[in-house]
Amino acid sequence: MIFLKNFFNSLYLFFRPLIKWFLHRFTNLCELQRLCYGAHSGYKRCKLVERSLNLSKKSQIKHLVYCLNDLTSHPMSDSQIQSEIVDRAINTVLLVKKINPKYHPGFPPSFGRCVEAIYGYRRLVTIIEDLRLEQYDPNSEVHERKLMALWHNLMPDVKLEGRITKQWQEIGFQGDDPGTDFRGMGMLGLENLLYFSREYPGTARHLLCHSQHPKYGYTFAVVGINITHMAWRLLKEGHAKAHFYNLLRTGTRGYPTLEQFHQFYCYLFYEFDSFWINAKPDNLMQFNNVQDKFERTIRKVSDRENCLFKMNLSVENV
Amino acid sequence: MGLLSLLRKLRSSSDKELRIVLLGLDNSGKTTILKQLANEETPNITTPTAGFNIKSISSGNAKIRPYWKNYFENTDVLIFVVDSSDRKRMGESTDEFNELLKDEKLRSVPILVLANKQDLTSALKSSEVAELIGLVKMKDRDWQIQACSAIDGAGLQEAMDWICKWVKK
Repeated sequence: MIFLKNFFNSLYLFFRPLIKWFLHRFTNLCELQRLCYGAHSGYKRCKLVERSLNLSKKSQIKHLVYCLNDLTSHPMSDSQIQSEIVDRAINTVLLVKKINPKYHPGFPPSFGRCVEAIYGYRRLVTIIEDLRLEQYDPNSEVHERKLMALWHNLMPDVKLEGRITKQWQEIGFQGDDPGTDFRGMGMLGLENLLYFSREYPGTARHLLCHSQHPKYGYTFAVVGINITHMAWRLLKEGHAKAHFYNLLRTGTRGYPTLEQFHQFYCYLFYEFDSFWINAKPDNLMQFNNVQDKFERTIRKVSDRENCLFKMNLSVENV
Repeated sequence: MGLLSLLRKLRSSSDKELRIVLLGLDNSGKTTILKQLANEETPNITTPTAGFNIKSISSGNAKIRPYWKNYFENTDVLIFVVDSSDRKRMGESTDEFNELLKDEKLRSVPILVLANKQDLTSALKSSEVAELIGLVKMKDRDWQIQACSAIDGAGLQEAMDWICKWVKK
């Protein structure tokens, strides 16, 4: 099966220039134009435009792709996206493909939206990676304040007796110092938990309550950090592209944001909780097993073209 | 090739399953050791283990410590991991260790103690760890203390060599 797929893929790549030349002749449009006019907007169009750019043999386009990849692998501000990425890509393509925007007024905005989504996603990966690499530092006042805020959001009525205390286990940390539990997920793990508990306090406390169930209980914060790991893997490996590209059609911004990643995390955590309870595990030793199954289910959906995860906030309104 | 597959090869002649149990407090480095032994690419990206890792039991979470003993049956070798840099929790580590020694299913099972995190300057020497957790006084079974650093794999080869000796017997 894989062999056949590879075979057809190489066959396609071999004949691609010929097909492209043929279509160009008969439609008078270059491949990028055909995609921007023909393919469904959202994930499908972005995916095909991304592929077309990456496969281009034109040296100017190759250079453009190299520059855009390089730019988005470093931190960059929101305002730079338009000038450094979108305008640059449109100008280069118009020039190289000899497209006159006067006769093709629909092309630049449509192509621009795709570029903004594709490279906005790459930029988000960089933002998330930087957060992940920032280790939790007990000497940092900012970090400590965030940790305390997490406690307060989840347990508003219970006073924390000290910084190092067994009480942390009530919200699902391992020992008496949560600082050692963030590990490979760094500040990303804490920021995710904090966002969830701040933006959806009702839902977060509802899940915390589930996690304290005598039979189907789990360690809330530790499982939360493992969900961060999962969200991060999906994003980095590109399996979250369909969701994030499709999401842009509904939002006001043309590029994925950190907030949208947090919401993606909240969705996964919320769904994992239901999945866990439905699985009726014997005890916490089943965690890896259930988590694997959960991840497989999510991956199956996330690779669909029309994938869009929406959080069902029924609990928040109760 | 990972050290684990080396071990598996060594054992391939016999049908009996080999059971090595890896225990220790949370944040002592069990998952990293396991990833290092299995030759996984990113031993440094871990999250706290909820439940246990399939290659052996490996989670120090207080909530699941009561379940440790469900996995003691037919254990060939027990590995106990200590974070040598965490002086504050050495007592807690010792308590858990002594609890394990009392377990009937683990009677006369050889024990390997890994004094982990030797890469940190604040780490105690392996001899100090052996002294603190009462290893030196132990007469009723074979034991070994091995200094290691899971993050770069130092000391793990020696640890596996010791285990291999037991597997051959």
